[in-house]
Amino acid sequence: MEIEKDYYAILGVGPAATGEEIKKAFRALARRYHPDVSDAPDAVERFQEIQEAYEVLSDEARRKAYDRARAEAGLSDQAILAWELTVSRQSLPAIPEEQILYLMVEISPAAAMEAKRLPLNLCLVIDRSTSMQGERLNQVKAAAYQIIEDLRESDTFSVVTFSDRAEVVLSGLRGSDKTLARARLNAIRASGGTEILKGLEAGVEQVRKRKRLRAVNHIILLTDGHTYGDEEACLALAVEARNQGIGISAMGIGEDWNDQFLDLLATKSGGVSAYVDSAAQVRTLLRKRVQGLGSIYAQDIQLLLRFAANVRLESAYKVSPYIIRLEPSQDRISLGPLEATSPLSALLEIVVGPQKPGRHRLMQLEVTGDVIAIGRQGERLRRELWFSITENPTGEGEVPANLVNALNKVTIYRMQEQAYQALESGNAEKASEQLALVATRLLDIGELELAQAARLEAGRLARTGRLSPEGWKKLKYGTRSLTMGPVGGEG
Amino acid sequence: MITCPSCGRQHRPGTLFCSECGVYLPTGGPLRTEPLPEEELPASRANPWATGEGEVGVEAPPKTLRIIMLDSGRQVQLPAAPELYLGRLDAAHGIFPDLDLTADGGLEGGVSRRHAKIHQQGNRFFIEDVGSANGTFLNGQRLTPYLPHPLHDGDELQLGKLRLKVILE
Repeated sequence: MEIEKDYYAILGVGPAATGEEIKKAFRALARRYHPDVSDAPDAVERFQEIQEAYEVLSDEARRKAYDRARAEAGLSDQAILAWELTVSRQSLPAIPEEQILYLMVEISPAAAMEAKRLPLNLCLVIDRSTSMQGERLNQVKAAAYQIIEDLRESDTFSVVTFSDRAEVVLSGLRGSDKTLARARLNAIRASGGTEILKGLEAGVEQVRKRKRLRAVNHIILLTDGHTYGDEEACLALAVEARNQGIGISAMGIGEDWNDQFLDLLATKSGGVSAYVDSAAQVRTLLRKRVQGLGSIYAQDIQLLLRFAANVRLESAYKVSPYIIRLEPSQDRISLGPLEATSPLSALLEIVVGPQKPGRHRLMQLEVTGDVIAIGRQGERLRRELWFSITENPTGEGEVPANLVNALNKVTIYRMQEQAYQALESGNAEKASEQLALVATRLLDIGELELAQAARLEAGRLARTGRLSPEGWKKLKYGTRSLTMGPVGGEG
Repeated sequence: MITCPSCGRQHRPGTLFCSECGVYLPTGGPLRTEPLPEEELPASRANPWATGEGEVGVEAPPKTLRIIMLDSGRQVQLPAAPELYLGRLDAAHGIFPDLDLTADGGLEGGVSRRHAKIHQQGNRFFIEDVGSANGTFLNGQRLTPYLPHPLHDGDELQLGKLRLKVILE
């Protein structure tokens, strides 16, 4: 197999040709260039080339390997990111007021680019403050053993613990060296306060030392408490880490941690945050997270929006892997990493001002990302979107079901956010009503358990004017995971 | 602007869900429940004394209640709660039924905002009409308002013209 040769061009088929098309093209060419029948001077050479191309492209595994190798070498103009765009309506009525249009953007690895696990350069930053004593710390240790068990030769793994200071427990463990690691983990004892900055600094240092371009460089923070006074410094560190290609994920255990802070920390660094409601879940959720990290296909996916005049963005939400409000900075929206196992999608709410009948440009949309799975930086997709304004719209077409479904869940998530905002501004009654609505809508979509949690919190709010921290976290992380199907609180 | 049929909030045309109460706007309509012509509804009355026999005193594992909206095909499992209201959500007037039938054609079917309630006592479930405009029917028989009737697996409920199937398991 010679990747410099374009086998598709040799057979005269497109890169998306089916096996049948390839076979047909091969037969036609083979008949023409067979040395027995052809007088062409280069017939032998041509025939060999055709045969070689057919041998590779007709074998599914070899074809995939060939596609990948060409993409990696930058030889194919075949896309390595794929996307699907869905709008709520193609044509809008001509009315003298502003209208709403929704656009859903779904990004995934291109079909030919099969997932392959990237090496991990991982550091676990473990809170060992007094409150972690007992079951929590034991479960975290068990989870760390599990990660060590799952390590591969190419992975490196570090562990940092912190209380009011930080200690490096394991530094750059390779997949082969597991016994000593277990003993070191076992010796971790709980005591002292919670100073997250110290732990994060040591964690970033560990990951930075072993940073590789074609690896996932990541920190997972596990904590059960509040950090005091160093939040700003932690967030600044998260941004700095992100600029160096290091992501941070945060897992809060129990109900006493600061969810807003951990969410922000994770968002700023391109990682995720998750809620672990019982110590027993630590192991499953952490393992899932590490597997997700291993399947990262592209990093730093960004949407670039260039709206036409008279068109603007109202709001943007990430829908999958989990729901979160997106904050555009100028015309750019950062979507974080793309994992091969779950598509990345966002929902944009767009305001279209009054326009004359006819065809209009809506926007130019661009997606950029670093496809680390094949070491390609700055990969780019671009498209112009158009819509038409008609004087007499002939019946509204059906809104695509996947868009309605996603928007339904985003709406429920936003209602839950509004309840929290109402409570923050001192209006417990409004917050309670809002949560009762959330309960009804959750029941509408068959989320019985979450609906029940919302009912309970609505009742509690009405009676006491307060939410229970665990009920609230369950609801928040539950509604934001609505798009993931029926699983726990991971996000 | 378009108005949310449930909470009255104004939205720009093209909006799909009300941001306030979560109603799917394209299926929403005017708020009031119109009385349906008598001949469109079943005529016979249920006898409150003739039902519920043979279940008292039998210890059975806890049951869950599932409702299938026969017209829309939607299925909902109801949470365990002493009381659950069925009707159409109207946030503007503070009416929040547990099971909102707006999306199942509740308005056209003559479902009231407060239509019926289901309550649970141990392992037994009861349906009660709470003064709806077009009535609640159990297996084709109209219920006397505010009088609870026991529910059984496979029962067919009708709220106005909207038909629901009861699954107890």
